[in-house]
Amino acid sequence: MDLATIITERRSIRRFNSRSVSQELVTELLAQAVRLYGQGESPRVRFVYAGTPEARERLVDGMTSSMRENKLMRWVPGKMIELFKSRFTAIPGHLIVVAEAGSDRSGGEASVAAACGIMQIFQLLGWEQGLGMLWDTERIIQNEVFFKQIGIRDHEVFVGILHIGYFDKAPRGRSRTPAEKKWTVYEGREAKTV
Amino acid sequence: MTWADRTIPDSKRLRYRSGPVPQPIVLELLNHAVWAPNHGLREPWRFIFVDNGKGDALGKAQEPAPAYLVVAMKEEANPYKRHEDFAAVCCLVQNFRLLAWERQLGVRATRPEWTDDPLRRRSFGIRETESIAFVLEMGFVDPPPPESASSAAAPAPAGLAFELF
Repeated sequence: MDLATIITERRSIRRFNSRSVSQELVTELLAQAVRLYGQGESPRVRFVYAGTPEARERLVDGMTSSMRENKLMRWVPGKMIELFKSRFTAIPGHLIVVAEAGSDRSGGEASVAAACGIMQIFQLLGWEQGLGMLWDTERIIQNEVFFKQIGIRDHEVFVGILHIGYFDKAPRGRSRTPAEKKWTVYEGREAKTV
Repeated sequence: MTWADRTIPDSKRLRYRSGPVPQPIVLELLNHAVWAPNHGLREPWRFIFVDNGKGDALGKAQEPAPAYLVVAMKEEANPYKRHEDFAAVCCLVQNFRLLAWERQLGVRATRPEWTDDPLRRRSFGIRETESIAFVLEMGFVDPPPPESASSAAAPAPAGLAFELF
């Protein structure tokens, strides 16, 4: 498939089918993504994968127990949490991405940028193989309980989780604003906004 | 050869040909790149194109390159939203770098310190609620001769930091 087609046709997948995802494929695509990132020095990024039924259940347990830490979640009925649990446990794979915080002026933004670049390439390589993903940024799980459970160290930042699986149907895309509408040409001292 | 098999050069060692980078090509690539995943379809980016035909557009602030693209980002006060927006801009830049390389347009993504300077920010029309997320250095490059392709390549990543949960 041609690159522009993959980029424009890729969708976030929220509904996966039950076909299992091989761990070898995940590591192979990740290694390829790191290679294609190619910005010089090795990116300071770490991946933690939950792909076995046992690991997936443990991870989702961690997600729900960290959700219970949140004050707002006290009002959410237990049934809802159970529904969330069974929905997420059924997803074939979860890739946690962690970046080194570093001491640069922006607190590790360079390694977060590298992590995000690699995650995007990984999503594109996966799409080409028929793999769908959801880049999860759910803020309710982002707390100390969850970070401790997934083993985030002091000098690290959590970048996100990719939920991974095959799918039967991709959702329709939502059109993007043309770049021309967000485009300015710098003309010496002052940039003129079109 | 498909895009996934290409050898991406180490961007620190890009040698640009002199000659302009036409705006229509950059816009065409960007119109594909904007299909980056972005939370809530906020599309938190904006582009400022800098032609460097005379060679002094940004002074000594950046490595010499035929053109630059300043990628501005909306700064959300909410840290979670801000993290999502930064990730979206990173994905857009990544798409752009991959797409550009298909046309032998070399791109180096930089995050220099001068982008915090209020005077410089003003000269690029950066708004109060924005920051400069990336400055992309761009220029066409010669294709590496086949035999030297591997020596021009980025060093192989030193092992994948992959663990099981």
